[in-house]
Amino acid sequence: MGTSILPLKQTPDLASTHTGPNLRVRMRRGFWGYLFISPWILLYAVFGMYPLLLSFYLTFFTYSFVRPDDYVFVGIGNWVQGILDPLFWQSIFNILYNQTIFIALTNIIGLGTALLLYKVVHAGRIFRTIYFMPVITSVVVLMAIGNYLTSPTGPIQATLVQWGILSGPIFWKFDQWLPMPVIAVLNSWKWFGISTVVYLAGLFAIDTQYYEAAAIDGATGWQQFWSITFPSLQPQIFFLLVVNVINGLQMFTEVFTLGYDVYGGPQHQALTPVLYLYAQAFDKSNIGYASVLGLLLAGLIAILTLFQFRFLNKEQA
Amino acid sequence: MLQSKKFTVTTLVVYLLLTLGALVVLYPFAYMVMNSFKFGPEILNSPTHLPSVLTLTGYQGVIQNLDILLLFKNSLILAISIAFLNTFLSAMAGYAVAKIPFPGRKPIFAFMLATMMIPGVLFLIPTYVMMYRLGWVGHFYALIIPSAVSIYNIFLIRQFVMGIPDEQIEAARLDGANDFNIFISIILPLTRPVLATVAILSFIGSWNDFLGPLLYLNNPSTWTVQLGLYQFQSSIPGEHIQELWASMTMITVPLVLVYFLLQDQFIKAFANVSFK
Repeated sequence: MGTSILPLKQTPDLASTHTGPNLRVRMRRGFWGYLFISPWILLYAVFGMYPLLLSFYLTFFTYSFVRPDDYVFVGIGNWVQGILDPLFWQSIFNILYNQTIFIALTNIIGLGTALLLYKVVHAGRIFRTIYFMPVITSVVVLMAIGNYLTSPTGPIQATLVQWGILSGPIFWKFDQWLPMPVIAVLNSWKWFGISTVVYLAGLFAIDTQYYEAAAIDGATGWQQFWSITFPSLQPQIFFLLVVNVINGLQMFTEVFTLGYDVYGGPQHQALTPVLYLYAQAFDKSNIGYASVLGLLLAGLIAILTLFQFRFLNKEQA
Repeated sequence: MLQSKKFTVTTLVVYLLLTLGALVVLYPFAYMVMNSFKFGPEILNSPTHLPSVLTLTGYQGVIQNLDILLLFKNSLILAISIAFLNTFLSAMAGYAVAKIPFPGRKPIFAFMLATMMIPGVLFLIPTYVMMYRLGWVGHFYALIIPSAVSIYNIFLIRQFVMGIPDEQIEAARLDGANDFNIFISIILPLTRPVLATVAILSFIGSWNDFLGPLLYLNNPSTWTVQLGLYQFQSSIPGEHIQELWASMTMITVPLVLVYFLLQDQFIKAFANVSFK
């Protein structure tokens, strides 16, 4: 049962091997050490550090690929515009709206499925394999299928109309409020396999003696869940929340391949921050401003992640 | 007696729910494969029914209109280059930070870990500006070089290498092996499981990537399968419907077959957990 769930929590126990070999041997080993990490250092300097600095620098200019001469210093103008841009805040609202539903759904479905799989002696592996299939399939393919399945003429709406849940077909993509929840449902269908497997590993790590002791004390299954299972799964819940927030807030391909324009439709109902950033950079050719949007979004992700580390990570607190 | 009966009813309900879940997961895939064997009008008029006549016109259309072999070739070039480079270079760095004592190792590793926290969206625009100025836009290496090594993979490999006993490395060193020999002859063979994880993550990441190719591969001769599919999708609705379903099936089925062969490695790679 190897569960190396939280990569950031390991303590680097590097304080070994300072004894023994003489200086020349140590230097020769140092050479190999530097040589082996040099690809990362080199690539990170060029494709990590430099772009970050460039991004920050570009926020103070208007810069465009179409008009390369039009390279004007505007001070904090882009920043002010970004902070006051209602479209940017709508995109932030949209993605938070979407992610709240998505995170709730994937975690509830994932945990529910993991609890079911935990009870199963036979064929658990087959179910696990099936549930994980959408995870490895591309977003482009899954969104195309989802688009047809949920379309006004597709099977899901036809069934809902037949059952009387819907009074008639709905053009959800053009509704003000529906795109974000529907995309959240499609995405939780795609990603719940990861939560399932992570929670299942967490369930297997719980010592069964706790359940036996609780059963002797007369605790019901429900009580056992809330007093043993749920608290024991805190590291898994924390891990999934952190990963979901970092990845989910950067959603792009889903809305782009569903056929929305780069402004997320006529009412901007499907505008996500990265889609808006893409629109500013490649539709408006407004590179400085797009850089501001990237930094603002990264700042928001950093704040949310720190918040989670501060208040949810019980093991470190 | 009562206990065992209750147990069977619960088990039955559990299996029923799991089967229901499996059907919900599999239905969209079945829907895709089913429609890929229909004629266009039938896809539009009765999408949920089994095909009345099996036809391969969709597949023929894909091969004629889309040059699917070229798309597969481009996607494979990218995914294999990235998976190979990333696995090899990340393994080198992972071995160094795990086992080679060099001055500054601790702060360098701490810095590496810190960079993991930076969201990728920050690099999107400035990297594009940089590639644009370098004239790399439109070339595969604009996607391959920045993905040639990654800190997440270095970290995964380091965790694994830490578990290799120092004595084994020291013994090789006493026999006169340098760190490169040790890396090739001891570290690489012993870390095969984690290397498989890293290779799968890199390969699938590149194969399924959409935004990267959308930004950098603007010439149809460099398109990947995902971009090719997107072109079909964004054309006039209903026009290429047979080809759309056929191409989605062609893109998905090879991946799913590989997944079924290596399912445990895939699940381990993506969820970062393993089962006994």
